[in-house]
Amino acid sequence: MKVNLKILFLLFFLSIPCLLLSQEKKDENIFEREIKTKSNQFISEPNFHKALSFFLEKKWDSTLVYSMKQLSSTKDEELTNYCHFFRGFSFKQKKIYKEAQKEFTEISIGFKFYNRVKMLLGAIALEQNEFQKAIDYYKDLEYLKSPEFFGIKKSNVEHNLGISYLHLKKFDKAEYYLLKSTKTQELNKDTLLLVGAYGDIATLYYEQYKDDLAIPYFQKSYKLSKKTTDFNLKRNTAKNMAVVEENRKDYKLSILYRKEYEKWKDSSNDQNKIWEVAKLEKEFAVKQKQKEVTVLEAENKLKVAERNKLFYSAVSLLVLLAAGGYFYSQKVKTNKIIIAQKATLDELNATKDKLFSIVSHDLRSSVNALKTSNSKLQASLETKNFTELDSQLNTNSAITNGAYNLLDNLLNWALLQTQQGYFEITSMRLFIIVEHVAYNYKPLLLDKNISFENTVVKKEFIDADQESLKIILRNLLDNAIKFSNENGSIKFYSRNTNDTFCELVIEDNGLGMTESTRLELLKDTALLSKKENEDIIGTGLGMQLVKQMIQKNNGKFNIESELGKGTKMIVSLPKTAS
Amino acid sequence: MDNINVLIIEDTKAESDALVKVLNANNYNIVGIAPTYKEALELFYNNKIDIVVIDIFLNGNPDGITFAETINVVPGAAKPFVFLTSSTDRKIFERAKLTQPFSFLMKPFNELEILYAIEMAVEKFYAQNDVFLSDEEDTVISKEYLFIKKGKSLKKVLLNEIIYIEVEEKYCNIITEKEKFVILISLTKILNLLDNDMFCRTHRNFIVNSEKIVEIVPADNLILLSGNHKATLSDTYKTIIKKIRTLK
Repeated sequence: MKVNLKILFLLFFLSIPCLLLSQEKKDENIFEREIKTKSNQFISEPNFHKALSFFLEKKWDSTLVYSMKQLSSTKDEELTNYCHFFRGFSFKQKKIYKEAQKEFTEISIGFKFYNRVKMLLGAIALEQNEFQKAIDYYKDLEYLKSPEFFGIKKSNVEHNLGISYLHLKKFDKAEYYLLKSTKTQELNKDTLLLVGAYGDIATLYYEQYKDDLAIPYFQKSYKLSKKTTDFNLKRNTAKNMAVVEENRKDYKLSILYRKEYEKWKDSSNDQNKIWEVAKLEKEFAVKQKQKEVTVLEAENKLKVAERNKLFYSAVSLLVLLAAGGYFYSQKVKTNKIIIAQKATLDELNATKDKLFSIVSHDLRSSVNALKTSNSKLQASLETKNFTELDSQLNTNSAITNGAYNLLDNLLNWALLQTQQGYFEITSMRLFIIVEHVAYNYKPLLLDKNISFENTVVKKEFIDADQESLKIILRNLLDNAIKFSNENGSIKFYSRNTNDTFCELVIEDNGLGMTESTRLELLKDTALLSKKENEDIIGTGLGMQLVKQMIQKNNGKFNIESELGKGTKMIVSLPKTAS
Repeated sequence: MDNINVLIIEDTKAESDALVKVLNANNYNIVGIAPTYKEALELFYNNKIDIVVIDIFLNGNPDGITFAETINVVPGAAKPFVFLTSSTDRKIFERAKLTQPFSFLMKPFNELEILYAIEMAVEKFYAQNDVFLSDEEDTVISKEYLFIKKGKSLKKVLLNEIIYIEVEEKYCNIITEKEKFVILISLTKILNLLDNDMFCRTHRNFIVNSEKIVEIVPADNLILLSGNHKATLSDTYKTIIKKIRTLK
C-alpha cells in the first residue's frame, strides 16, 4: 500500500510546475504593463531599453546580454535592481536556478517588485525540493494584500505553502493551507486549479490513511477533470482512482479506471501523433503549395515571356507597317511630283515643238523667199534691168533682216531659258539706247516712209541691263514698224508719272489690236500666242522675250491699243536713284 | 585739235574693215590692226595710242582679255579700251569684267554704238562719268590731253600746247598756238583736273599755262604770253609772280 501511495504521490507532484506556469501566464500581461510603466523613467538608457524590449519579447539570451551591458555601465540602484530582475527571470526561464537565485538575491529590498522576486524565489526553491526555504519565502507573502502581488493570486501562495508542508509531512498545516486555497479557488471557479487542489487534498488525507476523507476528494477531482480538456489531468485523476479502488480491493472498478487511464494516456499520445501527422500534413501541404507556387511562377514566367514576345512582335509589326506607310506616302508624294513635273515638261515640250515648227516654218519661208528673190535678181542682172534690181535688193535685205531678228531672238530666248547670258544692271541714259536701237531701223522706216521721233527726255536715267534693254526695244520697234501702215508714224517718248519708274511709250498709229489679243499678249504664259494673221504676225517669240526681259529688269509692261487706230506699248523701268 | 589714235585688235578682216571704215568716217586715226595678241602688244608699245578696241576672241581664244590684263598691270601704260564680243557667255564676261574699267560692245553694232562705246570707255577710264552725252559738258581731261567731243567724234588737244584758257560763264575758250576753240566745262572742274604746276589762275576768267608766259607786267595787270597773246593778272592772284620767279 505504501509503495502505491509513493507512486501516486510522485505522479501527482509532476503536475505542479505546469500549474505554476499556467498561473504565471495569466498574470503576465498585468505584470508586463506594470513593469513597462515603472521602468519608463530609464527609457533614455539604450542598453536598458533594449534589455526591456527583449525581455518583453521573451528573448532571454539577448536580455541577459543587454542587461549585463547596462549593469557594467550604471550605478543607479533602481536600474541595477531592474537589471538583476531581468537576469534572474531570464535564468529561471532557462532553468539555470542557481544563477537565477544569485541574481534575485542581489536585488535590494526597496525594489518595487520585491514580492514578485520572493514569489519567484519560492518557486525556485520548490523546483529544487528545498521545501523549508520555499515555506520561508511564501510565509512572507501570506498576509500581503492582493494588489501588491500584481496579479499573482493569494490562493497560489497558499497552495504552494500547502504542497510544501505536504512534502515535509506536516499534514495539519498542509491541510489548513490546501483547504484554504481550495476555498478561494472554488470561489473563483478555477476548474484546472481545483482539480489539482482536490487531488492534493485527497493525497494529503491518503498519506495520513484517512481514506474516508481522501476518497471523496479523489472522486471530486476525477469528476471535475471530466469537464476539462486537459488529457494529463484526466489521466492522473483516472490513475489515482484506479489506485484507490485497487487499495479498496475493488479490482473491477480499478481495472475500469486503469483502462480509462490507459485511454487518456493513448489519447494523449494520439493527440501528439495527430499533431505530428497534422504537422506532416501541413508540411506536405506547404510543400505542395510551394510546388504549385513554383509551377505557377514558371507558368507566369512563360506567360510573361510569351506576352513579351507577342508585344515585341506587335511592335515590330507596327514599326514595319508605319515604315511601309511612310515609304508608300513618300512614293505617292514623289509620284505626284513626278506627275506634276511630267505635266510641266509636256507643256514645255509642246511649247518647244511649237516654237520649232514656227521657227523652222518662218526661217524656211524666209530663206525660200531669199532664194526665189535671188534667182529673180540674177534674171534681172542678165536682162540688165537695173531699176528692178534696186527694189529686189531692198526686198532681199528686208528678208534677211527679218530672218536675222528671228534668229537673234531665238538665241536670246535660249540664253534666257538657260540663264547663261551675261546680265548686269547699270545706270544709263534711256534716250541714247533708244537712238542706238532706232539707228538700225532707219532704212526700214525710210522704206515704209514712216516718220520716227525719239522725244525721250535726255536726262532720264534708268537702271537696266543694256543688252536686254536693247533686245526689248528692238522687238517693240520691229513690231511697231511691222504693224504700221505706209506713211505712218512711230514715237518713242517718256512719261514721267512716277517717282521710281520711268515709263517709256512706243506709240504707233498702225493696225492696233482687239482687246482679246491685247489680254492674250499680256498673259504671263510660257506658251506662244496664237497666230492670228499669217501675213504679218510673227512667231510671238519676240513678245514673249520682251515680257521676260522686262521682268528680269524689274520692270513692268503694259499695252494700250485700239483696233485700227494704233498701239501704245508701255515699258516701265526703275529710275536710277539720284 | 588732233584726231584720236585708235588701235584695233581684231582677227576677222571683214569686221576690222567695217570698223576702220566707221572710225575713219568719224575722224579717228587708226594706228594699226593687230590680229594677234603679240602683234597687238608690239603696236601698242611702239605707237602713241589713245584708245584700244579689242575683240575678246582671237582665233578662238580669249586673248583680247589677256591683252587688257597685260596693259593694265604695266604702270602708266594703260589706256582706255573697249571689248567687242559676239558672245554673251557669262564666264567670259566675268573674267573680262575684272579688267577695270570695263566697257564692252555687242556685235553686231552700228555706228552710234561704237562711237558711244569709245566715249564711255574714255569717261570711265578717266573717271569723269557722264560728260559727252550731257548738255553741260563735252570735255574729259587727262594728264596729257583734253578729250573734246566735236560733233559725233572725239578730238584731243595736247595740254602743253594750250597757251591760256579764258572762261566765259560755262564756256571755256581754249587758245593754243595754232587755234582757238570753245569747250563746255565748269571752271571748278577744269581747275581741279589741270596740273597746278603748269596752269595757274591769274584772274577770275583766266587760266594761264605758266610755260607760255613771256613777260609779266604787274603795273598794267598784264601777262604777255607766247604768240603775242595777253592775259589779265588781277590783284587776287598776284602771288603767282613768286611762283614764276622760283621757276626761273
